[in-house]
Amino acid sequence: MHFLAISNDTLFIYYLLSNVIYLGLLIVAIVRNVRHRHRLGSQRLELVKASPFTPPITLIVPAHNEEGSIVGSVGALLGLEYPRLEVIVVNDGSDDATMERLRQAYQLHTARILYIADIATAPLHAIYRSRLDPRLFVLDKEAAGCKADAINAGINAATSPYICVVDADSILEKESLIRIMAGVFADPGRVMAVGGIVRVLNGSRVVNNQIEEVRLPKSPIEVMQVIEYLRAFLVGREAWAGFNMLPIISGAFGVFQRDLVLQVGGFRTHAVGEDLDLVIRMHRRLREENRPYQIDFIPDPTCWTEVPTDFKSLARQRARWHKGLIDALWPNRDMLFRTRYGRVGWLVLPYMWIFEFLAPLIEVVGYSTIILALISGVLSKSFFLQFLLFGYAFATLISIGSVLLEEMTFRRYSDSREVARLLIYCLFEHFPYRQLTMIWRLQGIWQYLRGDLKWRSLKRVGISTDPVA
Amino acid sequence: MGSIFKGIEKLGAAGLVLEAILISLLGIFLLVGFIVLRRWYRARYFHKRNLRTVALRSQWNDILSGKMPAEDWRFDPLDCDIVESILLDSIEMSSADELVPLLDCLRVSGLLDMRIYEARTLRGLKQRTALLALGRTRAMEAIPALAAGLDSHLRETRIAAVRGLGRTARMEAAIPILDRIVTGQFDAPERSLKNALVNCCRSHPDVLVSYIEHTHGPVRELLARVLGELASAELGEELLVLASDVLPEVRASAARALGNTDASYTLPALHSLATDPEWFVRLRAVVALGQIENIGKISILLRSLCDANRHVRQRAAWALAQMEPQLDQILEDVVATKDDYALQAFVSELERSGAIEKLGTGFAGSGRRFTEIALTEIVAEARKRVELTGKAAAASVGAR
Repeated sequence: MHFLAISNDTLFIYYLLSNVIYLGLLIVAIVRNVRHRHRLGSQRLELVKASPFTPPITLIVPAHNEEGSIVGSVGALLGLEYPRLEVIVVNDGSDDATMERLRQAYQLHTARILYIADIATAPLHAIYRSRLDPRLFVLDKEAAGCKADAINAGINAATSPYICVVDADSILEKESLIRIMAGVFADPGRVMAVGGIVRVLNGSRVVNNQIEEVRLPKSPIEVMQVIEYLRAFLVGREAWAGFNMLPIISGAFGVFQRDLVLQVGGFRTHAVGEDLDLVIRMHRRLREENRPYQIDFIPDPTCWTEVPTDFKSLARQRARWHKGLIDALWPNRDMLFRTRYGRVGWLVLPYMWIFEFLAPLIEVVGYSTIILALISGVLSKSFFLQFLLFGYAFATLISIGSVLLEEMTFRRYSDSREVARLLIYCLFEHFPYRQLTMIWRLQGIWQYLRGDLKWRSLKRVGISTDPVA
Repeated sequence: MGSIFKGIEKLGAAGLVLEAILISLLGIFLLVGFIVLRRWYRARYFHKRNLRTVALRSQWNDILSGKMPAEDWRFDPLDCDIVESILLDSIEMSSADELVPLLDCLRVSGLLDMRIYEARTLRGLKQRTALLALGRTRAMEAIPALAAGLDSHLRETRIAAVRGLGRTARMEAAIPILDRIVTGQFDAPERSLKNALVNCCRSHPDVLVSYIEHTHGPVRELLARVLGELASAELGEELLVLASDVLPEVRASAARALGNTDASYTLPALHSLATDPEWFVRLRAVVALGQIENIGKISILLRSLCDANRHVRQRAAWALAQMEPQLDQILEDVVATKDDYALQAFVSELERSGAIEKLGTGFAGSGRRFTEIALTEIVAEARKRVELTGKAAAASVGAR
């Protein structure tokens, strides 16, 4: 009985605290987003493009079996509005026709370009360059079984001071690169990395690898992910970045100072969540060296990505994300509560341990003991129901808050009916969707403990691209 | 110790939780209501704005010429906002002749004075908006108000003032910025300052020279970077003084500027800068050498091709690869250096420019010492050695 009481108390405090923290993050995010919107009003991208001080950037595109989309994706990347751009596609041992498609579409020829392996990677077969667009290079390498190795090869070949890693199956908006670099220009000496927002592509109309019309997807499972992405990026990342504690820059779209990435040894090969792992190691390095720095997030440069459309793929993805979380947190556990790591060690990492990594475990134990307490009469039935309802209403309030944030700032979903759908789905995010994700995350913990770190492919519908008429 | 639940229950916790539920639900309804209302208001506003824009556009010539009195649109906030937006957008795209009637309209209607007043008296976002709008007017009388914004205690306001001054693109607007940054106490992002100065000093880079002479440290470097972008042959021997400056950033900028001149002193000065102890000064010198037309640069570039720094080598290779008539001789000279990195860099650049195929064909038919096969073998051998060294370098930086 005593155990049940303690467990119930713990869950009560835990749940309240997590929601209060998120409410705090929401408020900080609203303030930052509104300020950012005001700044955007005076930002003239054409001046940035014309400025001689705009530094070059290298886009690194790891590609493994992307024959269906690679040509269009690369075309879209070469069409990005940035004055000094280099695109490096790393064909990571594809066993489909990815390389052939690239060779034909861009008239690749072998280029004996100087390549120094600052970071060790699987061997390269060849380096190619396009005759059609000299900004495009293709590295053909042996597969190492991980995306990080491909990115590292791209970093070795990059000649720019900044690198931007982009997924081959994602779509960057035309101005996204110049917008994300505006975050670097704000203080190039301090800003070491900047993340942009990743949004859900499903349902939108794509023409020639550019978003033509933003629409909500049809199926509920995809709409739920839209809300999740809005909350994670517009609230979570925006607020953490406000305190210079951003723990992750999405692997789908982020800019990094190349030298710093080299200093930390590049992306960790075989890391499950290589993006989270890299950013935590960057924090570690910069704090150990006592360097003033900023790892920032900017909410307007947008990358559109396809999300899973079926439960099986979503379950795999969430399990993998959770494994990635553990895989990044565990090797850096020595950063916890250490003065030299400052707010990162005292606030964001403990938050990630308690409210991200342990969340499914605590919730499962909590739900079980509450039900036991209910059966054994330790907890009154009416109070239990009221508590559940409160938790649900409070969490829903925060979900609706993230939709509000989107409405107040970027308004990508312009159709009122779609916003109404988003709001309705907010009501289902915390029951039953949250409980499902909890189970998938538990699977991730179980797989990690068993040492099962292998990559499971996700079913993709593919980007439906309409050609220009 | 009793359970928290029990404790709260004793205090009438059920009531408390019920209140919390109600507050959360109220919050949800408020948020949803706010979203709905905001959408409705915005739709209504944009519809109205569109209608007014069409109406004002149809009277545009009368507004510009003053036939339509300013009182008819100035005191309606929406009309005033629309007319100002159109005017400022037009000013940005206008030539010197087109600018006159647009500025006259701003002056006669009192819009310019209103913005000057706002920039001087308002605070916060409204002041910053006024400063940026003033900059876009490109009017001379806007400069003092913009300059006053530089003295704000708010960094954001100072940045807005710097940007505003930059947008005027007038040499006179650079003076207040320069006067403040030479003190070394002016706090604004370096990039904003550089962009503003580049815009303002484009036609008079000599203004910067007099300021560089009286500055030290980071400020001197900043000004030198700007000068490096703008300097032209008209600056003359001032560049030679800068080329021997104690600050490497200043020397680098002088090197960059020398690339825009073809004076008699250019090559000797760049020769000296190409052997500078600082790699980025050498890099700038090599880039500048690539820009000038002088066959005498080949020997300097060949030496830079064997530089210890990878970037310097690459740029030297790039510059050499552009010299198409002399490529066969240059290749022989590069091979003669017996520097694998130099050869690799040069061949890489030949590949980039597509010149390697012509060169190979030329060798094959010429009966000279090099054939295409020999060239390929040399490159393959050099590449192997370079890769091995690269792996050793990777091991030394601790990469896995």
